[in-house]
Amino acid sequence: MTKLSLRDALNRAHHQIMSADDTVVVIGEDILGGSGVDGGQELGGVFGVTAGLAARFGEARVIDTPISETAFVGMATGAAMTGLKPIVEVMFCDFMGVCFDQIMNQAAKARFLSDGRFDLPLTIRTTMGAGDGSAAMHSQSIYGLLATVPGLVVACPSTPADAAGILKAAVAAKGPVVLMEHKGLYGEMGVVDEALPPVPLGKGRVVREGADVTIVAVSAFVNRAVEAADLLNAEGIEAEVIDPRTIKPLDLPLILESVKKTGRLLVAAEDAAFGGFADAVISAVSRAAFSDLRAAPAAITPPDAPVPYGRKAEAVWLPGTDEIVAAASALATA
Amino acid sequence: MSAETLTWLAEKAWFIRAFEGAIARAADAGEVPGLVHLSNGAELLELAVAHALKPGLDQVTGSHRSHGIALSLGVDPYGLACEILGREGGLSSGLGGTQHLIAPESGLLGSNGIVGGQVPLALGAALSAKTLGTGGIAVAYFGDGAANQGAVLESLNLASALKLPVLFVCENNGLGQSTASSYAAGGVSLLGRARSFGLAADHVDGTDVVEAIKVADRLASWVRSAGSPAFLEASVPRLSGHYHGDAETYRGNGAGPTDPFDRLPKLLADRDVPEGLVAEMKARAEAEAERVVAKATQAADVSDKALQRYLKEAGA
Repeated sequence: MTKLSLRDALNRAHHQIMSADDTVVVIGEDILGGSGVDGGQELGGVFGVTAGLAARFGEARVIDTPISETAFVGMATGAAMTGLKPIVEVMFCDFMGVCFDQIMNQAAKARFLSDGRFDLPLTIRTTMGAGDGSAAMHSQSIYGLLATVPGLVVACPSTPADAAGILKAAVAAKGPVVLMEHKGLYGEMGVVDEALPPVPLGKGRVVREGADVTIVAVSAFVNRAVEAADLLNAEGIEAEVIDPRTIKPLDLPLILESVKKTGRLLVAAEDAAFGGFADAVISAVSRAAFSDLRAAPAAITPPDAPVPYGRKAEAVWLPGTDEIVAAASALATA
Repeated sequence: MSAETLTWLAEKAWFIRAFEGAIARAADAGEVPGLVHLSNGAELLELAVAHALKPGLDQVTGSHRSHGIALSLGVDPYGLACEILGREGGLSSGLGGTQHLIAPESGLLGSNGIVGGQVPLALGAALSAKTLGTGGIAVAYFGDGAANQGAVLESLNLASALKLPVLFVCENNGLGQSTASSYAAGGVSLLGRARSFGLAADHVDGTDVVEAIKVADRLASWVRSAGSPAFLEASVPRLSGHYHGDAETYRGNGAGPTDPFDRLPKLLADRDVPEGLVAEMKARAEAEAERVVAKATQAADVSDKALQRYLKEAGA
C-alpha cells in the first residue's frame, strides 16, 4: 500500500493501462503539451494527469489534438469501433457542449445500433466542479445530464483508489464510460494498493455506517458528507454516508438497503437542481421503497442558476457541510 | 497615420497594458477570483480594429482573452475592473467574470469561456444589422486555436452563404494554450481557409500599427459597404502566457516574442510628437489604470446579492 494524490493515482493507472495493452491510446488537448514548440518541457495535461505518458509510450499513442472537440471525440469513438481503446480527455465537462452530438448520438448509440456487433471500449475523461472562481463555463458538473443518455456509463470517483480503479474498469468495459474528475479533488490524498485494482462499475461504497439518516453523496460532496456526519454525531444523529461512485448504472440495492435501516434519505450532489442526480435517486428510492421512508427525502444541490464568478456568489451557490448538517438534522427529527 | 491618431492610439495602448499589469498584481494579491488571460501584445491590433468601427452601431464578440478588446471599444475601465474582480459596479455585478464580459452599449456583445463559442454569436449581430438595416457590422475575434473549431469553420461558411456583414479577426499568436498553431492547424494557412469559403481575406502583422490601421479600416469598410464577410488574420505575440501565472515551461528556451510597443517611440518621434509629451501621456495612462484597478479592489463583493436577484427572477 502507498499514499497517492488522486491526480497521481490516475497518472499511475494510465501508465499501467498503456503498458499492459498496446491498443490503448490517449487523446486530447494539451495532454502532452508543447506540441509543435521547439525545446520546451511537456505539460502533461492542464492538471498533470497525463504526465510522462508521451515520453514512455510515444506520440503515436499519446496524441495532442487541435481545439476541435467534436472531431477528436468522434475520432476516438470511431477508433473504439475499429480496434483501439481510446482514453479521450475533454478538458472541462463544460466543453462537452461543443461535442455533444458525438457523445449523445454517436458514442452512446453505437453498440445499440450495431445490435452488439461491435464493442465500444471508449473512455471519456473530463473534469468538473465549482469552487475555484472559474465561473459559468469551466465549473459545471453535468453527470446527471450525461446519465440521462441511454448507452453511457457515468462515474464520479471521490478517492484516489476509486479514480484509478474506475479508470481501469472503464478501459476494460465494452461500452463508453464517462469518468468525471472533480478539479477540487486532484490533490486529495488516499491510500492505494500499488496494483491499483479495477473498481467494478455500478458498485457503490458505504463510507461510514449509521442508523438514523442515509446521505448519498457524490464526488467532492463525499468528504463534506463525512464531515457533516461527524458534526451530526455530536447531536446524537448517526448518519450513514454512501458514495455511489458510479452515477449510472446506479447501485440502487446498496442505497435501498441503507434506507430500509434509516428510513431517511438525503442526496448531496453538485449537479442540476432540477431533474439531476439527486432527483433521480429520490425518485428511484421513492418508487422502490416508499413504505420504508419515514420522512420526505431531501436534496442538497446548488440552486438552479449557472455557476457565478464572484467569490460571495460562488460560496452561496455551492452548498457546504453546514447545509448537509442542517438538512440531515431536519430529516432525522422529522 | 497622423500624429493625432497615433497619439490617441498609443495612450490607449499604454493604458490597456498598465490596466492588465494592475490586474495581474491584484491577482497576485488574491483579489481576483479566477485565472485571468491577459491581452499583452495584442493591444495595437485591437485598437486598430476598434478605430475602424462605428460606436453605437457595431457589435463585437471576443474570446476568453478580451480585457483589451473591451478597453479598445471604450468599455468603462472601472466597470471592467470590477467585473474581473467580481465586485459591485462590475459589468454584470461579478456574476460573469473575466471570461464573460458583456457591454453591448459599448459594442461588446460578449466575450466567451468556450473556445470559438463567440463566433456564431457575431453572425447573429450581423444578421440583426442586415435585417434591421442599421448599417452596422459585427466583428468576431478568435485565436488560432479556435480556428480549428467546428463552430468557427461553420461560421465562415454560413457568413459567406448568407452574405452577412461580419469581419472575422483571427489573432494568431502561434499558440493554442500550450500547443503550437503550426502543429494544430492543417493546411497551408488560415488565410487560405478563409478564401476557400469565399471570404475577402488579408493578413497583417499586428505589431505594425500603421499597417494594422490601414488593413483593418479597408476590410471593415468593405464589410460595411458590400454587406459581405471578410477575414483578417493578424499575427500578434502572446506576452503573458496562456493565463497570468502560466510558467510556460512548454515554450522552450528560444528568444521570447518581441513587444510591439518597442516600435512606438520611433513612430511618435517620426511624427514630431515631443518626447516630453509622450512621457507625460504614458505616465498619465499608467496612473489612471492604477487608480481604476486600485479603486475596484476597494469595491464590495455583492455578487451574492446579484445571484439572489437572478434566482428570484427565475422563480427558483
